[in-house]
Amino acid sequence: MSFAERMLRIDRRIIFLVIGLCTLFPLLFPVGLPIRISAEVRGVYDYIDKLPEGSVFLLSLDFDPASKPELYPQAIAILRHAFHKNLRVVAMTLWVSGTGLADQIVSQTAKEAGKENGKDYVFLGWSPGGSAVILNMGQDLYNAFPADYGNKPTKGLPVLAGVQSLRDVTYAVSLGAGNPGVEAWYVFGKDKYKFELGGGCTGVMAPGLYPLLRSGQINGLIGGLRGAAEYETLIGQKGKAVAGMDAQSATHLAIIVLVAICNIFYFTMRRQQRRQEQMGS
Amino acid sequence: MELPFEVILGGWIATGLTLFILSFLYEDNPLFKLAEHLYVGISLGYTIVKTYDTVVMTLILRPILDKGEWSLLIPVAIGTLMLARYVPKAAWLSRYAFAFIVGVGAGLAIPRTISSFILKQVEDTVRPLLAIVPGDGVTFTYSLLNPASNLNGIIILIGVVSVLFYFFFSVEHSGPGKMVARAGIVFLMISFGAAFGYTVMARMSLLIGRLTDLIEFSDASYGRPTLWLSLLTIATLIVLSRRGSTHPPNQ
Repeated sequence: MSFAERMLRIDRRIIFLVIGLCTLFPLLFPVGLPIRISAEVRGVYDYIDKLPEGSVFLLSLDFDPASKPELYPQAIAILRHAFHKNLRVVAMTLWVSGTGLADQIVSQTAKEAGKENGKDYVFLGWSPGGSAVILNMGQDLYNAFPADYGNKPTKGLPVLAGVQSLRDVTYAVSLGAGNPGVEAWYVFGKDKYKFELGGGCTGVMAPGLYPLLRSGQINGLIGGLRGAAEYETLIGQKGKAVAGMDAQSATHLAIIVLVAICNIFYFTMRRQQRRQEQMGS
Repeated sequence: MELPFEVILGGWIATGLTLFILSFLYEDNPLFKLAEHLYVGISLGYTIVKTYDTVVMTLILRPILDKGEWSLLIPVAIGTLMLARYVPKAAWLSRYAFAFIVGVGAGLAIPRTISSFILKQVEDTVRPLLAIVPGDGVTFTYSLLNPASNLNGIIILIGVVSVLFYFFFSVEHSGPGKMVARAGIVFLMISFGAAFGYTVMARMSLLIGRLTDLIEFSDASYGRPTLWLSLLTIATLIVLSRRGSTHPPNQ
């Protein structure tokens, strides 16, 4: 058996180990590779940054713990920015399995920023119906969420003063890991109730959302951990996403090298086989 | 600073389950199965409890009992018809509930989806290939990095037309048609490559997330669960692997 053949039949667990080590070492010994800010992430940042104080900012945390590594840093960075700008933050989720995580994210960030529940922000929790909840909120927010996550009646909350429906929301961002997520917020929310919309998503979903970005259906897109790292850099508060970027780069490099090596071995083997066939004939 | 007991316990559970799940990369084993079943069970239990609390208590019972909103009984009755499926003789009643859901769902979704995903995207694809800028007259922008540039507009137009042609099977792909279909394949390959690249990035992000937590939980303030549970997992895998090798495989 030739060297190329042996390498192509290598135990896949060795490859897992290589990838694991390539991820682990940069996390233990970070080098701090530079992070370039993309136009799509800047789109969301700039819009929030230009909002006047007291504007109503809706953040829909449409994910569950399975997507936490990518969307948790995005949510933390956006909320820190919104609280820093003194926006009225209305948070919610369309994913029942993500309710506890979303509550933890919102309360933790609000506590850090010294914000008061009900006055500066509210976490509405989850309501059944998926995309239909967006339509319901577009007609009457209090009908979709009669009480917040802590069972406090939403009507009369200072943070919701002057807000009757989605038409009164200045800017909305959906951080989605699937359906319902960014697309549902565009289809049933922005397109119908005419508020500006930005999106955040997992890396798997990002290519599918770029057409919405180009056509202006969403004004910005934060894609995966990379997008979260860019947002953390923009707000000047480096967190988990920036810390993970060295590891991400190292892993990508390892995968590129593995793909290149496999191709070299593959073509070497093919050449050998052809030679053997020619010699045989 | 001493951490509260529940935080330390949470750290141990999270570390253990992460390591048990990752042990599948070595081989399928009972630790992985334990973690997998716990994940499915806890997710389902959590969903049931949250759904019951939000739907039955907050959205139905409280408004009816506290505010006398008896009209809520109408959707409750329609929803209850779904349960008729469990009674064979009355199963036909559930069709009314399904008919209502399908009718409302389709009515809401179809126009909105056509407007958002077809008309808006068609509109974006047939953008003018030149831009008129006040003062500069007709201009053409070349930036590949700007999604709205005229050059990207042309690339998108060529991509859409060639991919559509590739999937147009009524005409034989020969001569100039073959070239267009080939261009369609190239665009599809680039699209698959981009999607795969993003998928790899996403999966690696998940690994980074878990490893970050494992590093955090290796701290002495948690009692170093990463260290102890890694040893436990490795020891279990060794024992299981030895036990497996002593039993000959079934014929």
